Amino acid sequence: MIAIINYNAGNIASVANALERLGFEYIVTRDPKTILRTDKVIFPGQGRAGAAMSELRKTGIDKIIPQLTKPFLGICLGMQLLAQCSEEDRTKCLGIFPGACRKFPPTLKTPHLGWNKVALKRNSPLTAGIPDGSYFYFVHSYYVDAPTAKQIIGETSYGFDFPSIMQKDNFFAVQFHPEKSGEQGRRLLNNFCGLCL
Amino acid sequence: MFIIPAIDIINGKCVRLVQGNFSDPTVYSNNPIGVAKNFEKQGAVFLHLVDLDGAKSGFPVNLKTVFAIANSVNIPLQIGGGIRSYDQARRYLENGIEKIILSTVALENPKLLNRLIKNFGNSRITVSIDIKDEKIATRGWLKKDTKTISDIVTILKKARIKSVIVTDTSKDGLLKGPNFVLTKQFINAGFAAIAAGGVASLSDIEELNKLGAFGAIVGKALYEKKIDLKKAQRAVAYRNNLAKRIIPCLDVENGRVVKGTNFKNLRDAGDPVLLGKRYSESGADELVYLDISATRENRQTFRELVSQIAKEINIPFTVGGGVSTTEDIRDLLNAGADKISIGSAAVTNSQLIKEAAQYFGSQCVVISVDAKKQGRSWKIYINGGTKKTKIDAIKFSQQMERLGAGELLVNSLDRDGTKTGFDLELLKGITESVNIPMIASSGAGKKEDFLAAFTKGGCDAALAATLFHYGEISILELKKYLQRNNLTVR
Repeated sequence: MIAIINYNAGNIASVANALERLGFEYIVTRDPKTILRTDKVIFPGQGRAGAAMSELRKTGIDKIIPQLTKPFLGICLGMQLLAQCSEEDRTKCLGIFPGACRKFPPTLKTPHLGWNKVALKRNSPLTAGIPDGSYFYFVHSYYVDAPTAKQIIGETSYGFDFPSIMQKDNFFAVQFHPEKSGEQGRRLLNNFCGLCL
Repeated sequence: MFIIPAIDIINGKCVRLVQGNFSDPTVYSNNPIGVAKNFEKQGAVFLHLVDLDGAKSGFPVNLKTVFAIANSVNIPLQIGGGIRSYDQARRYLENGIEKIILSTVALENPKLLNRLIKNFGNSRITVSIDIKDEKIATRGWLKKDTKTISDIVTILKKARIKSVIVTDTSKDGLLKGPNFVLTKQFINAGFAAIAAGGVASLSDIEELNKLGAFGAIVGKALYEKKIDLKKAQRAVAYRNNLAKRIIPCLDVENGRVVKGTNFKNLRDAGDPVLLGKRYSESGADELVYLDISATRENRQTFRELVSQIAKEINIPFTVGGGVSTTEDIRDLLNAGADKISIGSAAVTNSQLIKEAAQYFGSQCVVISVDAKKQGRSWKIYINGGTKKTKIDAIKFSQQMERLGAGELLVNSLDRDGTKTGFDLELLKGITESVNIPMIASSGAGKKEDFLAAFTKGGCDAALAATLFHYGEISILELKKYLQRNNLTVR
């Protein structure tokens, strides 16, 4: 059973639909106990970092996430919230990954919206079978500025290179929307749902 | 971002000062021409020259050396130091110098600035902002002025200056990093900002690049080999793989696609789900579904349809048509739509856009900009293009961006259905005034029209309906064509 964390940060339906298409069982929840009981957790998200973090604090999920040892996948804002902090609303985040979320400079059209390539930097079970340079669908105005390359699995170029896939132990994160990224997105989600750590 | 090596000249020699202190220069070379040639050989694409004697005395002094450098390299130069009159500036600009740098005089003599811009264009004038303790320093940094940063921004904006060099004089020559906060202020104010003073390492340069700086002037760190020019240029070269998007648009009435299609082997050409699936498998990057039903009951049918589409299709899709309240938006998002296109309601109730961006995020707010040319400008139309307003399309687009719109879908009512090409002027006018992505719509007739929308119109995506439905252009072939013309497509 896979928990999809619902914390009022939009677009749960797309992730649920994608798991439905892949044939994995899931439960949409904001209950810490349920999250602790499932085998895997997907942490989607759209919207603002400040509102999202205060929602997580309200439900106590912010305390649960760092303790998890099961496969965990942050998507879009769900990735950004795994960093130390975010420039957006000057938010303290969950601190799984080192680094801070920064806004793209005003010299680039923001949001970074559309299909962009992911250059694979390291092997990860998440990207098994996905060709280097595959396109994924992005919509975001902030990115994780990682101080070290250690956790960067994939990078994407928008003016400069930023991390688009990260992994630290059981924590996986993607800046794009695999649930909206056609065949390669389907493969990535399938890899995650089939993980045995 | 450009990395611009600096050559500071005193008495014909290449020197560096620390914090602008004239009494104690370090001489790096007696042969500044050789230094310039060497930078060119290392791959520099631009050089920054400063006539330090000129800056101190208030008129160009090292002219001979400057022109000798200009004659010996094949890359453009910018020169500053002591340029205080029109004739001094002209002498440089008419004799092989690409840009002149004005400091003191730009702020003290707006008439001169205007005359230079009028005759040479603002692309050839750069203003150097030297800040010491938050105040501007002039006259070779020996004097402090009383103008604040926001005073300077106002003056320069008014003069139509685009390019500035930002130096925190307390950091210059110390190799302890530039003033990032100060540089960011000018970038955010909309200038092409070049940071100078204190740039010491590759990480300084990478940070300036992430801030959106136009360039970094590097002196001491290059001379003392703290920064490798080639390596630094590679690190901050502009990289962008974002693909241009092709979007088919489906008009839906009472749950069926209208205008029809002639896809081969499609069981039901009017089924929005089947059609969408077919498009997603044949290269479409996104889909747009527009509900053209008039009645409330039909709207309910549309919502059910949206949830069907969301279950079946794994690429993003936008829905629109008659969206007028935040509840409409919530219902459609909950049904699984990725983005909501808002038309007339954005014009009649702009508060809706602000609320939608706040509640659901800018990423799902697409504004349909329906415009028609009138004289030299474009006016917004509402109610499906039937009702004219007095609103200027470009100003409207800017207002929507301010309110939180994440994308614009620009419809030219003049071109709709004509197949004479997108209205490139309209597209260009809008994209140059906003900083959010834009989808071109209306007028596509052939592949070349799409290419022009991207290259000349500055679009991020292009939309068409019947052209794709009737198979007049296949999306895959269109993408191959765009790729052959050096555009990035998926």
